[in-house]
Amino acid sequence: MIKVDQLQKSYDGIAYALKGVSFEVAKGEVIGFLGPNGAGKSTTMKILTGFLLPTAGRAEIAGFDVQEQSLEVRRRIGYLPELNPLYMEMRVDDYLRFAGQIRGVAASGLKASVDRVVELCKLEKVTGKNILELSKGYKQRVGLAQAMVHRPDLLILDEPTSGLDPNQVVEVRELIKDLGREHTVMLSTHILQEVEASCSRIMIINLGELVADGTVAELVGELPAGDIRARIQGPEAGVIAQVRELVGENCVVEVVEREGDYLGYRVVPDSVADGLEEGLAQLVVKNGWGLNAIWRERRSLEDFFRHRTYKAQQEAGHA
Amino acid sequence: MRETIVVMRRELNSYFHTPIAYVFGILFLLVVCGMGSLFGSLQHGGQASVSGFFNSLPWLFLFFLPALTMRLWAEERRAGTLELLLTFPVTIWQLIAGKFLASMTFLALLMLLTFGLPITMSTFGDLDWYQVSVTYLASMLMAAAYVSVGMFWSSMTRDQIIAFLLSVTTLAGLFWIVPWIGSKLIGVLPGWLGGDQIVLVLASVSPKHYFDSIAYGVADTGDLIYYVCFCAFFLYANALVLYGKRVKG
Repeated sequence: MIKVDQLQKSYDGIAYALKGVSFEVAKGEVIGFLGPNGAGKSTTMKILTGFLLPTAGRAEIAGFDVQEQSLEVRRRIGYLPELNPLYMEMRVDDYLRFAGQIRGVAASGLKASVDRVVELCKLEKVTGKNILELSKGYKQRVGLAQAMVHRPDLLILDEPTSGLDPNQVVEVRELIKDLGREHTVMLSTHILQEVEASCSRIMIINLGELVADGTVAELVGELPAGDIRARIQGPEAGVIAQVRELVGENCVVEVVEREGDYLGYRVVPDSVADGLEEGLAQLVVKNGWGLNAIWRERRSLEDFFRHRTYKAQQEAGHA
Repeated sequence: MRETIVVMRRELNSYFHTPIAYVFGILFLLVVCGMGSLFGSLQHGGQASVSGFFNSLPWLFLFFLPALTMRLWAEERRAGTLELLLTFPVTIWQLIAGKFLASMTFLALLMLLTFGLPITMSTFGDLDWYQVSVTYLASMLMAAAYVSVGMFWSSMTRDQIIAFLLSVTTLAGLFWIVPWIGSKLIGVLPGWLGGDQIVLVLASVSPKHYFDSIAYGVADTGDLIYYVCFCAFFLYANALVLYGKRVKG
């Protein structure tokens, strides 16, 4: 559905917002496009929608080149830009009819098309209202409705949940999940739970380069092992020394909490090592110490995201 | 063509869904009536004439048309809808044509309402209807020139007031200041630089020159070609600005 090859974009000819991004997206995927602010998410999406021209590289949608066959591409996409711009003075139904017409929905099918998205986006109550009068959540749904009124092959949604309250966020996420059954969806966000909730695949972009591409499980699996936490009753110096011996000389062992006789330790292994919890428990038993809890901290997409983007940003002086 | 009409209809609707159409229309007609009763005359021996009304049109249009066109692109830029508009499957020219035709259609409706003026005058005396219709045509051509300038400036900024001021200045400059400079140059330039021909050259830049020539009934195809070129120039500049948005974001 999408084929992007060495895409570059510079707004001023000096600094590059995109430095050669390549990826492919198959039909039916729901892609979460992640990255810190200013990483190049919106730029990539604007090029895919035909709004921006790339400085170099190629992008194809449904087999059509975004530069050479821009109109063909634009017929096949639905786009919700960042900040969801709308014609505030128009009525919801007028606006959706306009969106359908200008995207080439035939007059005979226009009513059915508009009715379909009104139902899908639950806009029945507000069709006769001016867009200006709507709440932010409804406005967002109008933005989604205009993007899919012509049943596009590909939906491109730039931060579809930004600025919504938690309930509205959940609603819009549910809606996007539903859309994924019928359309290929590419959505950008910097909210990590969002992609975990609604995307089948994740791409992370940072400083204009693609730094990760895979499912949530795949990406999190690439992370170094999570930290081990344990609450142990025993001599502090002895525990630290023996744990070091067990886990490896280069590991970090530190006390992070003190609760009565029990000290909470954090063990950061320097390599991926399975079965450390068991080893630790045996160590405690062998020494006759007390143990009231041991667990491995969950590795999350958040860790992965920071792992991949934060260091590079600091080096580049962004953070 | 279909796309152009869709764009034009939306634009016309937005005139009527905001107070613009009504405030603009009522003010315009009030001023026209004022002009008509001030300058409409029966002096020429029972000969009715609406030339006063027509002669005031270049001035009226100078302020009214930039007010009509200032929001066409500036508002899209401010609200961010321009980005959406440029991702619809329509060409830049279809967008420009749609907006241009919307303004012209709205103005044509207003000009239709001013027909009361010549009809009233004709009850007082003989009115040269051929002359009246030709002058209406000249007015619309001049309006097209004004609208294309106004659209161009509107595409350059996200601020409607700036678009308005720059349009008024540009039009006033082309209309009166350039020919005025020409008139001041009589006898100044040496012969090898064209001498007093410069007056004619500078005067012929002004849309007024052609409006007058059509309004006085001496229209020829040259006048028409002038207006077509004038509009094409500014609409093309408008297209370049929009194309630039694709490159610069």
